[in-house]
Amino acid sequence: MRGIALKHKIDWLNFLRIKEFGAVVGIVVFFVIFSFLSNRFATLDNLMNTLTMAAELGIIAIGVSMLMISGEFDLSVGAVFAVAPMVFAIMVNHNFNEYFSLFLSLSIAVGIGVINGLVTLKTGIPSFITTLGMMMFWRGILLAVTGGFPIMLARRIKMLDYLGGRVIGGLRYSAIWFLLLTIVFWFVLERTKYGNWTFATGGNLGAAKALGIPSERVKIMNFVISSILAGFAGLTTFARFKIVDPTLEQELELEAIASAVMGGTLLTGGYGSILGALIGATMISMVRNGLVLAGAPAYWYRAFIGIILIVAAVINARIRKKVAG
Amino acid sequence: MNQVGEAYTAWEICGNFEGALSAFILGGIFVKRLVTLLLVALLSVAAMSYTFYVVSHGGPADPFWGVVMKGVKDAATKFGVDAVYLGPEKFSLKEFIDLVNSAIVKKPDGLVVTITNPVALDEPLRKAIEMGIPVVAINVPDDRAADQKIPYLCYVGMNEYLAGVYAARRMLQEFTPKRAVIGIHEPGHAGLEARAKGIMDILGEKKIPVEKLDITTDPTKALTLLKSYLTKYPDTNAIFTLGPLGAHPAIQLVEEENLVGKVKIGAIDLTTKITDAIKKGVVVFTIDQQQYLQGYLPIVFLYLYKEFGLIPHEDVLTGPSIVDKSNVDIVEKTVQLGYR
Repeated sequence: MRGIALKHKIDWLNFLRIKEFGAVVGIVVFFVIFSFLSNRFATLDNLMNTLTMAAELGIIAIGVSMLMISGEFDLSVGAVFAVAPMVFAIMVNHNFNEYFSLFLSLSIAVGIGVINGLVTLKTGIPSFITTLGMMMFWRGILLAVTGGFPIMLARRIKMLDYLGGRVIGGLRYSAIWFLLLTIVFWFVLERTKYGNWTFATGGNLGAAKALGIPSERVKIMNFVISSILAGFAGLTTFARFKIVDPTLEQELELEAIASAVMGGTLLTGGYGSILGALIGATMISMVRNGLVLAGAPAYWYRAFIGIILIVAAVINARIRKKVAG
Repeated sequence: MNQVGEAYTAWEICGNFEGALSAFILGGIFVKRLVTLLLVALLSVAAMSYTFYVVSHGGPADPFWGVVMKGVKDAATKFGVDAVYLGPEKFSLKEFIDLVNSAIVKKPDGLVVTITNPVALDEPLRKAIEMGIPVVAINVPDDRAADQKIPYLCYVGMNEYLAGVYAARRMLQEFTPKRAVIGIHEPGHAGLEARAKGIMDILGEKKIPVEKLDITTDPTKALTLLKSYLTKYPDTNAIFTLGPLGAHPAIQLVEEENLVGKVKIGAIDLTTKITDAIKKGVVVFTIDQQQYLQGYLPIVFLYLYKEFGLIPHEDVLTGPSIVDKSNVDIVEKTVQLGYR
């Protein structure tokens, strides 16, 4: 008798051990609620819309999660999100080859990531400060270079269709990229040595170093991943709208961190999930869209997301505590 | 010709003078001499004319204020006065108030200020007016009750609420919408909220259902949310946007979903994308506040006031001015020339 009860308990714990457990429950709950509130919600077209709306935020949240798991922050993602397409637009408008422009704009994102990493690790100041400074710097550069004007794409570029064009209905290529990148980085984090190093670096830096893990390189690499994904996300937005505003996405960095946390990633590092980031970003987008479809007063959204974030963090913390004993 | 040259030099000297002054405080006889020299140069120019200060919350990097600055410069050249433009690089209330205070300390012959925050500006501006400095408000008025208002001479600018009213009226002139939605990209922004209220009041009079929708500054979200709103309320056939961050995604939505003609857009503010969309018939109209006049007119008014004691009273409205198919070509040309 006792043996069976114990076995049950173990099964239950194994279930909780799934890192995305809280996020999955959350998204299912919202899905059910909004399906009841609006008959337009659970349609294929709306789900495609929701995923597309989640794509940019989600792509960024993947990189931010990787970095957070290794124990660092990136507040400059919103600025990089605007810088990459701005560089691309200016170059293409000056008749540079579009692939070269794409390469260079992503290289700049990589460069920003490397600088974020080097400054943080070599000087020992918190990444919160480094990347906050970086965000201000690039926002300033954007304003200075453009004079505050939005930049419009001057010619048609076929390649952009594969970044942000329509696949079918409300589904866009940005959403496809979002799913692909989730799979790639899920694999990297969960199935490779590099993923293990990332967890170890964020979990216990001293132990990781003692084990001979190149923690500094891991962190710098994750700064780069976070930055390049932000740049790429910006390019997918540009691919659709063909116009880039220097003040584009001013609060994005915080929403990306919120998605990562809702997905179960710890702010302090060492624990987290890429699938969770996907679910977190989709949940944010679903709630926003669901409230509109339900006819709720639009101004309540921000308050709502704030509560969800805290509840999600509390639940995730409880689950972790239970699993750890 | 000569006068043009002089006005520009004075402009530059003022900038240098500040730098020189701070170096002077640090000490150094050589610098002291240099300052005296500069001061003499400055005075010899200034003696012939008035010096007016223009302080705004918008810096030179903002294209909107670039046009205002051009207005200030053009008027100063034409009337042979000195005009110094000050504005924080990035919006910062503290820095702005500091700039206002430093302008007052210089005891100019006239002061032009945006009343961005009437409470914070109350004390410094009342002091300036007591000191005998004529003050003209631009761009943002003191919107408090008459007995609390800072007693500036007059206000030159747009009335944000009226912008919304005109937008709604222009839309009603086009057709009577069944339902309208207002995309607001920065909820809580006083100017945008006033514009939205103007629209809502006029449409409300006609019993047309209208709602504000928080569309954020992210174009993808803005587009999806507007689309969802149209799904929820399929009878919506008018979209109002309060700035380019709302107008651009709305234009994209109407084009992507082939809603041209079915859903009409009314915009506020000018960009190339908006004027293009007006030509294509995607956007019915947009509202312009002709901010060049907000730079030019105060200089003229202050000059006339100093010379002859003449001044317009109450508000001099530079907008809302409507841009639609009938005048879009002329407007586009003046945008390129930097007058809009």
